[in-house]
Amino acid sequence: MGAAGGTLLLASPWLSAFADAEHTRRSKARIGVVGPGSRGRFHMSFLKNNPKADVVAVCDVYRPSIDEALKIYPKARVYTDYRKLLEDKEVDAVLIATPLNVHFPVAMAAFEAGKHVFCEKTLGITIEECYKMYRKHIDTGLVFFSGQQRLFDPRYIKVMELIYAGTFGDIEGIRAYWFRNGDWRRPVPSPELERLINWRLYKEYSKGLMTELACHQIQVGSWALRQIPDKVMGHGAITHWKDGREVDDNVSCIYVFDNGVKLTYESIISNKFYGLEEQILGHLGTVEPEKGKYYFETIEPAPGFLQMVNDIEHKLFDAIPFAGTSWAPETANENHGEFILGKRPEGDGTSQMLDAFVEAVITGKQPPKIAEEGYYASALCLLGYDAIEQERILTFPDEYKLNYLNHHNPATL
Amino acid sequence: MKDSIITAQRKRTELITLLVCFLIANVVNLCAIIAYGTRLVELVTQIGYVALFSIALYLCWSVLRLIYYGIRKVVK
Repeated sequence: MGAAGGTLLLASPWLSAFADAEHTRRSKARIGVVGPGSRGRFHMSFLKNNPKADVVAVCDVYRPSIDEALKIYPKARVYTDYRKLLEDKEVDAVLIATPLNVHFPVAMAAFEAGKHVFCEKTLGITIEECYKMYRKHIDTGLVFFSGQQRLFDPRYIKVMELIYAGTFGDIEGIRAYWFRNGDWRRPVPSPELERLINWRLYKEYSKGLMTELACHQIQVGSWALRQIPDKVMGHGAITHWKDGREVDDNVSCIYVFDNGVKLTYESIISNKFYGLEEQILGHLGTVEPEKGKYYFETIEPAPGFLQMVNDIEHKLFDAIPFAGTSWAPETANENHGEFILGKRPEGDGTSQMLDAFVEAVITGKQPPKIAEEGYYASALCLLGYDAIEQERILTFPDEYKLNYLNHHNPATL
Repeated sequence: MKDSIITAQRKRTELITLLVCFLIANVVNLCAIIAYGTRLVELVTQIGYVALFSIALYLCWSVLRLIYYGIRKVVK
């Protein structure tokens, strides 16, 4: 492996999942999908393109989801009880894309049954559940992935290489946000199915924006800084969609790292002007990986001739300030930046993430750090949720720390 | 409408005027490079703007000349 490969693995060691890809050409990972709803089927559509993957079973309590899933994999066996699917000897691994509150029992039972596990984020509905899932993975030695597709997105991998190389200087802050304008509801064919289909809106099944959206972006912060934040504070409220939902439609959190650097997170679903982004702010430059762009603080000045014309124009036509010193608002300079990969972003890493999972299932080898990144992404968004709920500054609980990055837990050595 | 005749002398004068405008524009570009501390290569890379500025100078000079000759004709 060359220097480039070494740098790549330093930033994203889990890519070693592809190390044996040549030797596994004739092997197949037999996967059972628990919860083939919209997200589950999204994953199945990628698996369908991988000749090394076969979805041999699907399980759901909602028949329309099963019917749609069978359109992708018509020969898949159908189950309505996940425990029956886990008894299926022809299933090597399970992909869990159920509502959040069901992740934990399914994943734990899957590990017990000797199945490798891919669990959509967030891993569990409490930090304790996430921790138990992680421990079970360690104890069984089975493969454990979570749905953090940015870890496999070439844009993000390149960004982390550049950050680790010091291209953008010291990272002084991260601003992450996800703005949408919609009620987040899905059509419900009959009222008794409201909670089953719109589970994201009810606390029994989900923790709302923090577990469904923030989970992806907070992980980018700890990946960039190679640190786990120490504490978090936040606030949330239902400010717009007062339609009987239980989860907030307007949340904001501040994660504080040991060195004082902060990651601020904001999500509002009644204004989509700014969309989603993770702005990584270094003292030499800024990265916006969602846009696939980076910007340096100092940009080459305009040609002298144009600067001169501009200055003359301003002297001739600008209004003369009155009442004392001149003042100009510090609005951002126009800086179009450069594309991280030299072109507009394509895809979001989901395909590569599932390919890596398939490789890991075939070889039985857990790629380094992927479970830890998944665990902390889940734990941190849940800690943020708890801070919002309790309206307190919360520190990361010692009992749920792993021996990872700046965290140490003697009990798990 | 009668034919217009541009004499060789007139052509020479206009070409020299345009050349002088181009030289002035280059001197202005050089002054701007020094004043704003930008790169000397802009003497080449900004040639398009310099050419536009030359034409603007030439047009301004032409307007001034037209006004001058107009007034002179009226006075005579």
